[in-house]
Amino acid sequence: MKGSDRLRRLACYAVIAALAVAAVSCNEAHPNTTLVPHSDFGREIDFLWNRLLLLGTIVFILVEGALVYVVFKYRRRENQGTPPQTHGSTKLEIAWTLIPAVILVFIAVPTVKTIFITQAQAAPGSLNIDVTGHQWWWEFRYPEYGVTTANEIYIPVGRTVNFRLRSADVIHSFWTPQLGGKRDVVTNRTNYLWYTPDSSIASSVWNGFCAEYCGSSHANMRFRVFTVTQAQFDSWIAGQKMPARFGAVAGPTPPAGGQIPPPMEAPGMSVPAGANAPSQTAQGAAPRIARQSSGTQAPGGAQPAIPRPQTPAANPGAQTSVGGVTPSTGAASIPGALPAGYIFPRANIPDYAIPHTPIPADLKFTAGLTGSAARGKQVFSGAACIGCHSIAGNPAAMGVLGPNLTHVGSRSIIAAGRYPNTAAYLALWIKNARKMKPDVLMPTLGMDEYDPVLKAKVTSANGGLTDQQIADIVAYLTALK
Amino acid sequence: MATSVAHTSAPTHHHYTTLGLDSRKVAIWAFIGSECMLFVSLISTYLIYKGRSVIGPFPHESWTDPSTGQVLKPILNIPVTSASTFVLLMSSLFMVLALAAVQNKELPKRTRGERILGNSKLWLFMTALAGTIFLSFQAFEFTSFVHEGLSIRRNLFGSTFFTLTGFHGAHVTAGVLWLVTLLAIDYRRGLGSRDSLLVDICALYWHFVDVVWIVIFTLVYLLR
Amino acid sequence: MATTAIRTPAYGAEYPGEHGGLYSWLATVDHKRIGILYLYTALGFFIFGGLEAVVIRAQLGAPNQHLVSAEFYNQLFTMHGTTMIFLAIMPLSSAFFNFLIPLQIGARDVAFPRLNAFSYWVYLFGGLFITLPIFFAVAPNGGWFGYAPLTTKAYSPGLNIDFWVIGLQILGVSSLAAAFNFLTTIINLRAPGMTLMRMPMFTWMAFVVQVLLVLAFPVITIALVFLLFDRFFGTNFYNTVSAGADPLLWQHLFWIFGHPEVYILVLPAFGLVSEVIPVYSRKPLFGYPVMVYSGILIAVLGFGVWAHHMFAVGMGPIADTFFGLTTMLIAIPTGVKIFNWIATMAQGAVRYTTAMLFGVSLVGLFTIGGISGIMHSSPPADLQQTDTYFIVAHFHYVLFGGSIMGIFAGIYHYFPKITGRMLDEKLGKWHFWLMFIAMNLTFFPMHFSGMLGMPRRIYTYDAGQGWDLYNAMSTIGAMIFPIAMLFFIYNFFKSRRSGEIAGSNPWGAGTLEWSIPSPPPEYNFAKIPTVTTRYPLWEGKEPDHESARINAQEGKTPHELGIIIPYSTMKPLLVAAGLIIMFCGLIWSHVLLAVGAGTLILSLYSWLLSPLEPEHS
Repeated sequence: MKGSDRLRRLACYAVIAALAVAAVSCNEAHPNTTLVPHSDFGREIDFLWNRLLLLGTIVFILVEGALVYVVFKYRRRENQGTPPQTHGSTKLEIAWTLIPAVILVFIAVPTVKTIFITQAQAAPGSLNIDVTGHQWWWEFRYPEYGVTTANEIYIPVGRTVNFRLRSADVIHSFWTPQLGGKRDVVTNRTNYLWYTPDSSIASSVWNGFCAEYCGSSHANMRFRVFTVTQAQFDSWIAGQKMPARFGAVAGPTPPAGGQIPPPMEAPGMSVPAGANAPSQTAQGAAPRIARQSSGTQAPGGAQPAIPRPQTPAANPGAQTSVGGVTPSTGAASIPGALPAGYIFPRANIPDYAIPHTPIPADLKFTAGLTGSAARGKQVFSGAACIGCHSIAGNPAAMGVLGPNLTHVGSRSIIAAGRYPNTAAYLALWIKNARKMKPDVLMPTLGMDEYDPVLKAKVTSANGGLTDQQIADIVAYLTALK
Repeated sequence: MATSVAHTSAPTHHHYTTLGLDSRKVAIWAFIGSECMLFVSLISTYLIYKGRSVIGPFPHESWTDPSTGQVLKPILNIPVTSASTFVLLMSSLFMVLALAAVQNKELPKRTRGERILGNSKLWLFMTALAGTIFLSFQAFEFTSFVHEGLSIRRNLFGSTFFTLTGFHGAHVTAGVLWLVTLLAIDYRRGLGSRDSLLVDICALYWHFVDVVWIVIFTLVYLLR
Repeated sequence: MATTAIRTPAYGAEYPGEHGGLYSWLATVDHKRIGILYLYTALGFFIFGGLEAVVIRAQLGAPNQHLVSAEFYNQLFTMHGTTMIFLAIMPLSSAFFNFLIPLQIGARDVAFPRLNAFSYWVYLFGGLFITLPIFFAVAPNGGWFGYAPLTTKAYSPGLNIDFWVIGLQILGVSSLAAAFNFLTTIINLRAPGMTLMRMPMFTWMAFVVQVLLVLAFPVITIALVFLLFDRFFGTNFYNTVSAGADPLLWQHLFWIFGHPEVYILVLPAFGLVSEVIPVYSRKPLFGYPVMVYSGILIAVLGFGVWAHHMFAVGMGPIADTFFGLTTMLIAIPTGVKIFNWIATMAQGAVRYTTAMLFGVSLVGLFTIGGISGIMHSSPPADLQQTDTYFIVAHFHYVLFGGSIMGIFAGIYHYFPKITGRMLDEKLGKWHFWLMFIAMNLTFFPMHFSGMLGMPRRIYTYDAGQGWDLYNAMSTIGAMIFPIAMLFFIYNFFKSRRSGEIAGSNPWGAGTLEWSIPSPPPEYNFAKIPTVTTRYPLWEGKEPDHESARINAQEGKTPHELGIIIPYSTMKPLLVAAGLIIMFCGLIWSHVLLAVGAGTLILSLYSWLLSPLEPEHS
């Protein structure tokens, strides 16, 4: 019978699917997999998952097997009379009530145990991080150290981190799939989530997501977790604790723990944006984490802008328009360009942690501008920026609505993971953030750009900035390492 | 016209029903079951938000208005509401009498007492009147609360209190309209024992609304 | 005062609606015609919701695509969920409730025919009210679950959420009115001898669903009233900013409704399949009493598991444990149903008609949804699964593999009864296999994208996240659905016009609805039968020969048989229109509000004071 072949194929498909589950769980090409945990919390969940998957697969095979068997075995034959009119069997029905119940016991017992383990109080001596969800970015504070940052956290491996989760507006959900389960970030509540990253994952980057629908740009509310050694962490903290270093603090602090500043962060480099960090990562291997193969880029030829800004030739559309921004910190002698503490080397950031979002095609930036950080600081301090952003060390910038920018130059992403933090993207972002990320709160600042909220063009009267001014601000911000 | 009204009252005796009951009676019970969940949701919300208002006025606690420094008394006026509760309870009694009067319409009335008890118009009117008095009390209460600074937008207590009691008030209003309609039918053509189902389902609804008020009165007014 | 002179029933012998004109449809109170109205409307919304899904999948087919904007995508996924749940699956079930319940229990109509018409019109108007805004890009955009405080005025100032709140409120009126009606019908209009334990399984599941509706809908009504008051009158129920409200209030109220809603969606399909499988296996349903009790148990437990949608909100270990365990428990009665369906087929003589293929596929696909359901009944494990595509996979196996497959089984099975003609089996099998492949190709890979870390409700995702392959698969699968549906639509209209004539019992089924002509006469049963067994046409111990003979006859008018048929009337339609105008007034103008309220009250009084049917002479 024709139908039987099809059903047999269905059975094969089911088996293949089950095998695929097994294959996926050990595939390194999946940077956000929940199936390869890297923390105690993740492993607790994984233990349960494995048991659920095993029992689920057994049940699946038995039930679907029985179904397929019955489907084939009891097809109506030619001239078959009325089959026996059975109405039920108490014994059988008791059996298939009890068997699932027994299976459930094997799930319920470890479940309850795990609930109480994972929801216990975090161990004393944990590193506290206060997380505040905003539409649509993450604010992170290290209360013990007085450090505030945005969209990126550094945590030492082998030490429990205790996240205290609060929301500034609507409900969000804090999730780093490789490190543990998610926890909602609920308005008017403080939630907790803790885990201890494995010692084996020092010098790694992990993606984080907002997992609760929170409005227009819910998809653009990502963050990064850098798991580093304790020494690197200490150095990073030391750097982040300092006020903004551009023109404020003299002399770099040598990185603690004998860390050598990564070559990319060499002081005073006047880097053409087009050749900025991410392109280096293309060659620079991140040894520990296998990256997604370039296969995903295959159809990229048709895309308006290849996500990773490389050479102008590789990205003719958007790139030439922004490629000209040359963030300059002025002279090499200005200490602001030198990172104060450890920063995760950009060259080591794997592909999956570098945003590939294309730039809106109709957003252009004057080519060939050179920004001055000193001028940029002035422009910044006199512009709308200070209404929402804080920069420790710049007394003009005290705003609290947007991310703290004290060390914005040390971060690898902007716009909560939608774009890489390079001069080119930053310039466009400042020029017209609302085009770069849907419904973002940050106003449109570029002169003559259309603002969808004001429903008008930005002019000098309402604080519009020229491309030169933006280039200056970019130079200033990128200097804030 | 009068005869067309009669149709609504004519029990569907010629249709077979499984329980031998008119379907409207079954439906009103289902409706009341549903209404229970409605009020359970409202009352639960009130209780969940109890004591969580950021600013006053509060139901049982006095509070200091930060803008004037004035100490204000708890806002609930329990004696007045007790009176209105009593009125509503009495309305249930009137409702029982009204139903009995309709059911026994055809029985001969000998004494004056029997004639009074058998006067369905009187008892329907009394029930509706008691309901209206209750509503007037509620209107008075709402107005005085607003004067004392408690609006539905003021705080969590204001929102939950007005919504809960307002919903109940809306139910009483619907009940009064129902009773007035029955009264109109009674005046038009007289309600007889064959119409008792019409009064019966109205009575079920009315008693339900009363019972809900008892729960609200206990949980909102009496329970601190 | 002779206003009660018997009018000739408006549609006399014109049934079924091949002729009769527009008025006969606008004014019908016949449960079968209302069922047909429900069927057409709900299939229309089903196709519309499906097209929304196609756009969603097109956007997600590859990383960083911008086919639609973030804002429009959010409207699409909100409306896809809302449409499929409230405008497609529930009303498709209602179509069957309407058409089948009176036929299965041996009644001439539902308990309140005019209320039934009212339910339909409110559904139609409410559905349009909530659907039309998407053509103006102001459709609801807060998700079908509408979590506060995102849906409050502070964070959603536009009209979008207003349409959603009011639309759901309107649809709630329709669902509740229908539920009271069917509940009463099942309790009170069963034919003599039709005891509860002789009721066909579809009617049983319908009964359970009505109880769920009656108890669950008031809760969402109140949750929506709070949101409505917050948005329109500035109350504080979900005002987290200045009033200190708890946003979890919404979640609790929503899911106390929302979880029973899942069973409201799936139990009717279970009921349909419990009719389909025995017929094509030529065997009674295996373990009928257990099937009944498990349905009831599912409903009861269904009210105690709502917070399993909230394991990530931080309820604390005690609550997590409680809701985790109750959720696991609910798997037991559900499993029993699966096993009993398989056992029904076992030792039978199984015919694989299209209806049976859909029915069997429900058993297989729902099992997958059930197993993944158990996987997130464990709260810690759920922390990795909730709000990811794993959940999307899970509930599509439940709601597509369960509800939709079951409903299509029902459509193929009952089409002959509804129209008097057979659906084409060959086209039907094309439809089934395409849909079966599309369903698995779309939704199975979502298990992987979810476990590989892809969150739900994102309008775009970045390249290099390891999700590209699975999303591409899902998108390809989604593109097959429209093709499958084209087969169905073509088959539907072709067969309705020129399909094979069905006769009263084309499948050799055993229940009461197959004892009367197809399509049934407006009075259903010329003589109300007396029921002595669960499958009167199969195993009549003391068969009611006389009723059977009379009922099988065609062509007699109700007048000839002395059967009283309710008047046709447009009053329910007017009341429904008044209700909608009133709600529209809430958004646009107070004049409209007053006009709507006036229409509502006047036509309601006119309805209540006019007779349902001619008086007996």
